[in-house]
Amino acid sequence: MSIPGPGNPVVLSLGGVSKAFGAVQALRDVSFDCRAGEVHALVGENGSGKSTLLGIASGFLAPDAGTVEIGGRRRRRRSPAEARRFGLGIAYQTYSHVLDLTVAENLYLAVPKDVQPPRHRMEKWAAARLEEFKLELLATAAVGTLSLVQRQLLEVVKALLANPKVLLLDEPTTALGPPEVEQLHKLVLERSRGGVGIVYVSHRLPEVLGIADRVTVLRDGVSQGTFDSAAMSEESLVALMIGRPLQLAFPERDETARPADVLLAVSGLQGDRFGPIDLEVKKGEILGLAGAEGNGQVQFLRALAGVERPSGTASCNGHALNTKSPLSALRAGVVLLSGDRAGESLFPVLSVRANITLQVLRRFEHWGLLRRRQERRTVDELVRRLRIRMASVEQPVQSLSGGNQQKVSLTRPFLRGDVKLILAEEPTQGVDVGARFDIYEALRAKADEGVAIIVKSSDPLELAGLCDRVVVMSRGKIVDEIHGAELGERRIVEAIVGSRVTREKL
Amino acid sequence: MKALRGWLPLGLMTTLIVALGAYAAQHQSAFLTRYNLGNLLLSALPLALVAIGQTNALLVGGFDISVAALMTMCVVTASFTLQPDKSWPVLLAGALAVAGVGFATGVFNATLIRVLRLPSIIATLGTLSILEGASLLLRDHPEGFINPNVIDALNTSVSFVPYAFIGVVVLAVVGDLWLYRTRTGLAMRAVGLDETSSRRVGIATGRTVFLAFIICSLMASVAGFYSAAQVQIGSPIIGNYALESIAAAVLGGASLAGGRGSFVGTLLAALFLTEIDNVLPLFQQPTEYAQMTIGGLILLALVLYQAPELIARFRSTWVGVGRLRAQAEGEAPAA
Repeated sequence: MSIPGPGNPVVLSLGGVSKAFGAVQALRDVSFDCRAGEVHALVGENGSGKSTLLGIASGFLAPDAGTVEIGGRRRRRRSPAEARRFGLGIAYQTYSHVLDLTVAENLYLAVPKDVQPPRHRMEKWAAARLEEFKLELLATAAVGTLSLVQRQLLEVVKALLANPKVLLLDEPTTALGPPEVEQLHKLVLERSRGGVGIVYVSHRLPEVLGIADRVTVLRDGVSQGTFDSAAMSEESLVALMIGRPLQLAFPERDETARPADVLLAVSGLQGDRFGPIDLEVKKGEILGLAGAEGNGQVQFLRALAGVERPSGTASCNGHALNTKSPLSALRAGVVLLSGDRAGESLFPVLSVRANITLQVLRRFEHWGLLRRRQERRTVDELVRRLRIRMASVEQPVQSLSGGNQQKVSLTRPFLRGDVKLILAEEPTQGVDVGARFDIYEALRAKADEGVAIIVKSSDPLELAGLCDRVVVMSRGKIVDEIHGAELGERRIVEAIVGSRVTREKL
Repeated sequence: MKALRGWLPLGLMTTLIVALGAYAAQHQSAFLTRYNLGNLLLSALPLALVAIGQTNALLVGGFDISVAALMTMCVVTASFTLQPDKSWPVLLAGALAVAGVGFATGVFNATLIRVLRLPSIIATLGTLSILEGASLLLRDHPEGFINPNVIDALNTSVSFVPYAFIGVVVLAVVGDLWLYRTRTGLAMRAVGLDETSSRRVGIATGRTVFLAFIICSLMASVAGFYSAAQVQIGSPIIGNYALESIAAAVLGGASLAGGRGSFVGTLLAALFLTEIDNVLPLFQQPTEYAQMTIGGLILLALVLYQAPELIARFRSTWVGVGRLRAQAEGEAPAA
């Protein structure tokens, strides 16, 4: 890899940028620059000002003070179009796809006019681009039919097609498993060697340290400095991000007491893309579900939750588990915490209070009217317990940071006394370090009450730290089980990678 | 499936037009006469024009319910600016004044929607009230004849087909070619389908919506000319074009959620709706039936057009909502 020296031209430069939203100072005198050929990571907790910084760089927000230069040209207006013209490309965390249009149409719209082929050659052109980037997609497929993994890779390709001088990647790996991350990093490094400046925003510190040349840390809207990533460790980055050293990233496992009974017994369960699966989970156990993305983990979880219809049998607490519908699963005490927060588990425009109590409103009903005080008491207690940070419980959930949104969706099992099994999909996706710990603790507390929890995660470190036992899935089957002293990040990754090897052999 | 969805409305509308026409021709000799067909095409013009305009608003994900009031306002304006005793230069200026009313209304609507961020249905409801009131203020009862030379010019036909109708056909075909075969047409659909994503990839979303509403109002004012040619007098009461224009656009394949639609489909649907109106009197049926038929047809068409999606959704409910997030490896996604 070419080491980008200080001599390389600066392709993106923010000088002394400040921005306030009402009373909140989102950024305070932040300077940031990215040179051609380097990968410059930007890290910080949610709410530290990363998104604001990206918004200002990409022209969606106007800074209150400070300057923005792209490719050496000073930006004058608040205009994403101008930023693009100057050579800025961005891959959004929440994507920029029009789901009803085809892959080809989306690619076509994403490139500037001078790169666009004639309209009638669009599909051929798109197919050639997909091949160039080694994406195995049909150009004529609607983007809505693609998986999240494919959408995320497509988002990056879209940004690259415009031949930007500087590329902003906002959490480009949230949906990706280790092999796809590797694929993406290869692509990014290739481009950066070609002279593109890359700004890489991610929560995953190992990734950041693996790919970045320099790292800038933001905390509470203030830059904590820019460092050579070779000189940094995860611990030192975390310390800068949260302003104190993180002593314990995961709640303590109680290794002593576990004579527990089996709660969930699955035998020969199979469905679309998974199975047959045999599995037992004990009361109070947190079981991790690992595997490369798209190997049936999601479908398996959703089958247990009654979202998909499997065949085979599962029993919960000795009774056959009814998986005909989500409602019947819920009645049996099975709660699914969807990985798609905004889409499936929250009402983004409703308040924190409404989102928490909506499912149990009947409890606060008195002669057909709601008793607000009682409702507030429940909400306040959960807010305290899960450490949800916000200005007011009447604030719309969509205005919270990702981590706090996730905590709101996590209140579901805490409201119900009858929960026996929690199925959590990517419980910390897009969640910052501090909030992660709160979420782990909440899950562990629930497990200590005797609830069984299955956590599906694409973060091996998380699985190693949080779970009592981890099973690895490949091609819809369980191919490995890791527990006890063996349980570690490296061992999980090896199992995932290893299972991919056997998969290719098959 | 996608292609089917696009062609379904066009096919259905054509079939219905031909079927209804054949039935009417069999039972009523008066239907297939030059006089009646010419009359049918002429009376289809206002609806066709305003519905093509409405399709623009629907494509960017909005509604314009002020179009009928705007058409009335244009007729009323014409009754002042296109009076029988005027010379041609004055008449030309008068025609521009009518179009100017349309343009101004379009800018007004677009400003309410884009600058003040009002939902289009509310914004145009306000405009509707203002225009209705203004029309009544100017003409509280029908009065003020429209220049007969202008009316003749608007109604000029070759054989029984009005030139204007040929013009509308060309407009609709060119419109569809633009919408589905050009970059800007694709961009407009993209804005209607997903505004945030469109802005993110650099499409000028504000300008697109602005333009769509201005075109919608301009088309309504052109439709106003043809209404004026029909009523021939400054009447403050012109038909229920707001709902009918939306009905025609939807029957023609436009989606109320935005991003989908076809100008040719809209034209066919407008023709079909007018045909129903035309045929019923021939059978001595009261026009109330037309109203009810149209309502029923819209519901039927909507169900039918959604069918491919409904089936897919129904299937995925069982096979897996989780498919969205599942690796679609090797899956043929276009199915």
